[in-house]
This record gives sequence, C-alpha cells and structure tokens, in this order.
Amino acid sequence: MADAEGSPHVAVALRRAVGSAAATATSAGLAFAAIDYLGVVSVLAYAPGATAAVAILVGGILVVLVAGIFSELNGLYPTAAGIRLYLGRAVGSRTALSVTFGYMTTVVLVIAADAFLIGAAIRHVLHEPSGLAYVWIAVLLGLALTANLRGVRLAGGIQTLVTYAVLGGTTVLSLIALLHVGGALRRPFDLFGKGAFSGIQAVAFALFLYAAFEWVTTTAEEARTPRVITRALFIAPALIWVVSTLFALALTHLVPFRELHHSAYPQLLLGKAALGRVGELWMLSLTVLTALNTFNGGFLVASRFIYAAAREGTLPRQFASLNIRAVPWLAVTALACASALVAAVVFASGEWLLLVAVGAAIESAIYALGSLSLLILRRRETRERPFRLAAGRPLATLGVVLFTALFLATGFSDPKNASHFSAAPIAVIAAVAALTSGYVMVFVPRLQAAAAVRAAANRPRRRPHGPAAAVEEPAAGSGTAPAVDA
Amino acid sequence: MADWDELREALADYTISCNSNERLRKMQRGWSRTLHFVCSDNGTTFSMEVDRGEILSTPEGHIGIPDIVVTTHSETFCDMFWGDLNPVQKYLRGEITVKGSQEDVMRLDAITYVIWPDS
Repeated sequence: MADAEGSPHVAVALRRAVGSAAATATSAGLAFAAIDYLGVVSVLAYAPGATAAVAILVGGILVVLVAGIFSELNGLYPTAAGIRLYLGRAVGSRTALSVTFGYMTTVVLVIAADAFLIGAAIRHVLHEPSGLAYVWIAVLLGLALTANLRGVRLAGGIQTLVTYAVLGGTTVLSLIALLHVGGALRRPFDLFGKGAFSGIQAVAFALFLYAAFEWVTTTAEEARTPRVITRALFIAPALIWVVSTLFALALTHLVPFRELHHSAYPQLLLGKAALGRVGELWMLSLTVLTALNTFNGGFLVASRFIYAAAREGTLPRQFASLNIRAVPWLAVTALACASALVAAVVFASGEWLLLVAVGAAIESAIYALGSLSLLILRRRETRERPFRLAAGRPLATLGVVLFTALFLATGFSDPKNASHFSAAPIAVIAAVAALTSGYVMVFVPRLQAAAAVRAAANRPRRRPHGPAAAVEEPAAGSGTAPAVDA
Repeated sequence: MADWDELREALADYTISCNSNERLRKMQRGWSRTLHFVCSDNGTTFSMEVDRGEILSTPEGHIGIPDIVVTTHSETFCDMFWGDLNPVQKYLRGEITVKGSQEDVMRLDAITYVIWPDS
C-alpha cells in the first residue's frame, strides 16, 4: 500500500504558489533581523577589522553545507513540520519534540531582541530618556499582537519587497560608507589575532548572521516545485553574505570598535558616520522594516507551531483556541507576553549580546542535529528525492563534528570580552533544555493520556459500510449529532 | 481501503456538519478555496469547492485549479471526514501530506477542530 509520503514528488499547480524570488526573500527575511547588526559587532569582537569579512566568508561556506543538508531533508519531507519531522524520523519523536520546543524559544528570543533593539534605536534617534525604550518595546509588541490577533499579515509581495528593501538599503549605505573619505580598513586577515580560539568563535558568530534561513523549509508545501526551496536555501545565504560583509567592512572603515561595543544600535552609528542625520534616519527606517519580517514571520511560525502542538496533544489544548478570525489567540498572546518578558529582562540587564551568543549556539546545535538526521536517514530512506547532497554521508559527519564544535565555541563565549570565556550562554541553553525535556517527559504523557481518555469516550461517528449495514444505517448525509461549537 | 461510496458518505456528513455550524461559517466567511484530495492507496481523487466558508460541492475527480492538495490513505480521509481522527497527529507524522499555504492548512484543520473539538 502506498504511503502518503511515498507519493512521487510532482509539481502540483496550485493557484497561489510560491516561486523562487519569494522563497528566497522569505529565507533572507527570516535570517536578516535587526539583531544581525549586533551579530556583525559580535563577529568584529573576535575578528577585528577587515578580518570579520574572512569569518563571514567561512561562515557562509559552512552555511552552504547546511543548505545542502536541509535541501535533502526537505526533499524527503516537504512539510511545515520541518525539523520536527526530520528529527522524529531520525532519533524519535520525544527527542524531536524537546528540540523543537527549544528551537521555538529562539523565536521568542529573536522577537524580544528585535523589539528591544528597535525600541532602543527609536529612543536614540528621538533623543528620549533611556527609560522610554521599554515604552517603545511595549508599543511595538502591542502592535504586533493586535495585528496578529486581527489576522493581519503581510502579503507575500510586500514581504518580498520589505526584505529586498532592507538588504538593498543596508548594502547601499555600506557602500557609501566604504567610499567615505577618512576611514581605513584595519587588521585584514588576522583571524587568530585575539587568541587561539578567537577565529573559531568569530566563525561561530558569523554563522549566526545566516541563522533561521533554513526556516524557509516550513513553506515547502506552498512552493511551486520542490526545487524552489532548494534554490532559496542556496541563494539567500549568498545575499546575506554580501550584505553582512559590506556592513562589517563599512563599520570597520568608519566607526571605531570602542563606540560599537557597548551600543545596541551599531547601524545607526554607521548611518550617522556616513551621511549624518539622513544616514541615521535611513538606518532607523531599515531597522523598523526588519521588524515587519520578524514580527510577521516569527509570530506566524511560532504561534502555528503552538497551535499544532496543542492539537496534537503535546501542549494544553487551550493553546489551540481560535478566535473568530481563525487565529490561535492564546498562542499569539502567550508569545507576545513571553517576548515582552524577555525584552524586559534584556532591557533591565543590558545583556543583549548574551542573546546573540545564545541564538548562535542554538543555531549551531540545530545544524549539528540536522546533519545527524541526514546521516541516520541516509541509511533508512531509499526514496527518490529532488535533491541529493553529493558525498552526503561524509559531509553530514563533518557537519555533526563542525557544528558541535561551533556550538561549544559560542556556548562558552563572552562577546563583551573576547579574551574571556563565559558559561552564561551554555547555562541559558541548559536551562531551556532542562525545561523542555522535563516538560516532554513529565507533562506530555499526562496530556496525551487525558486526550486518549477523551477520544475513547467519543463513540465513533463513522457508520459501518456494506450491504448489511446499509439496511440499518440512515440515509447518507442525514448528519451526525448537532455540531459542537468550540 | 475505502471506496468512493464510503468517501462520498463521509463527505456528505462533513458538509452538513460544516455548513450548519454558525460559528464556523462566521470564522471562515472570508475563505473561498478549491481543495483537491488524492487517495494514495487506491488513486481515488475528489474535490471540494468552498465559497465564503460554505462547502458548495464535493465531486469525484479534480475540478478547477486547487489552492490546497491533500494526500493520504482513503481510510484516513474517511475517518477524518467523520471526525473520528485528529488530522494534526497524522500530519505531524507525515502520514497526511498537504500542498498549500500554511494559513490554508491551518484553516482546514480548524474546521475539524471547531466541529469536533475532542477528535
């Protein structure tokens, strides 16, 4: 008997299908958030001056490996469930669920970080007291919450336009900054100038600049053809590489690192250095635009994941509650509250670079687990797929080793002081892992048992079919019990 | 393996349940879509035409250009349309595959959830 997933990969002509340009924009838009500007500063902390470009290039080369691995996995399982299904098939559903819950916390971190960074940037440009930054954070999250609850979301075309405007705007300003008289590129190609591990940590943070580009696999179901996602996975990192490299070089060229290091808005400093007030407003506009992608994409991906988990019985069923616009309102509200809480902690502590380190470490871990999944599934799955990574097994093995090393490199990093190590990032990740694993081991079985009891209490509605049953059963279409309203 | 007669019976019941649910109709009032279904085990295909939340028809075969294409076993379809099965569990296990936007996929599941919250 044919399995649903065993059906051949055919291009289904959907009325509204996503093409390569839109998928690439989705991938690049998910990756390039406001926190990426800080990510570049973190790379500069370990790879000063023009050396950052080398780190970003090496990170980009590693991301090509990630793109290959996720392309093959996506070809095997082209579904919005993405990493959850890959891992589930490879290492079991319980581990997959724990990892996916942990992965979703990065969405909260990114939303919170972006809210904080944008709030701080607006406050800075308007010359308001620092305390007002949190008011802006609350306003931004409130707007995002209201828009999501009302079912408002960016149309695909606008999202594509926003992404290319952010990437293009950053590129143009960086080029202007690079052509600015009076700057100088410093310390080219000195990847280990800050110690034996600094080069590795610089690459690990460079990897963070591309983080979340692989989330485009969650749109596989609406892609015109399977190759659309593969193309996006390879093209989007190239775009981010160009933009990040130019931005890093421009920062090096015009803004002293001591000014960048304690700033939550390096992009505004570059804009001001390059074009004065106009440049500052230019970069503020782009920063606010990134929020559209982050809040639109982040809320959507995470709230739908929560909804699916609640429907599946792995989260309390209240999280599947829908409002009259078919939006999972509790999931969206919980996300906004969690983001506001994290943003408040960041605001009070000033530890925004810790978010970058945690995000970078989690992404490296996800890439290591993706590589592991491919390694295992190469043995189990013999089906044809639209993309097959050449030398897949050795490359997946390399991926496991490399990304585990990068996970440790960022997990023990201290971006505030590149010559020191810190256990803070790994401690945050360990706490998240303990919470998610504990939840999956203790609470999920209880929820599933309760769901099983409810399901068992329901009399099967399906009527027996066949000549004997036809005598007893009512006419087709006469309806079941009156519909229960949710 | 369910044949077309069984599927048609399930679809007829599903249509009545959907169209008679006021809250669902209100929730889906802006949702007009063409859905295609493919039974991976016996090759049966059928369509569903939804206009502003109302299911207009569920003919055999594929009619029009689809917004969503759902593929699974014929038995799974039958259980799903009778409300005896939680489609999300099957979907997350890869046993139901869908082509279409995430929003449409969620709307499709929302129908089942609103009609049969305990499925």
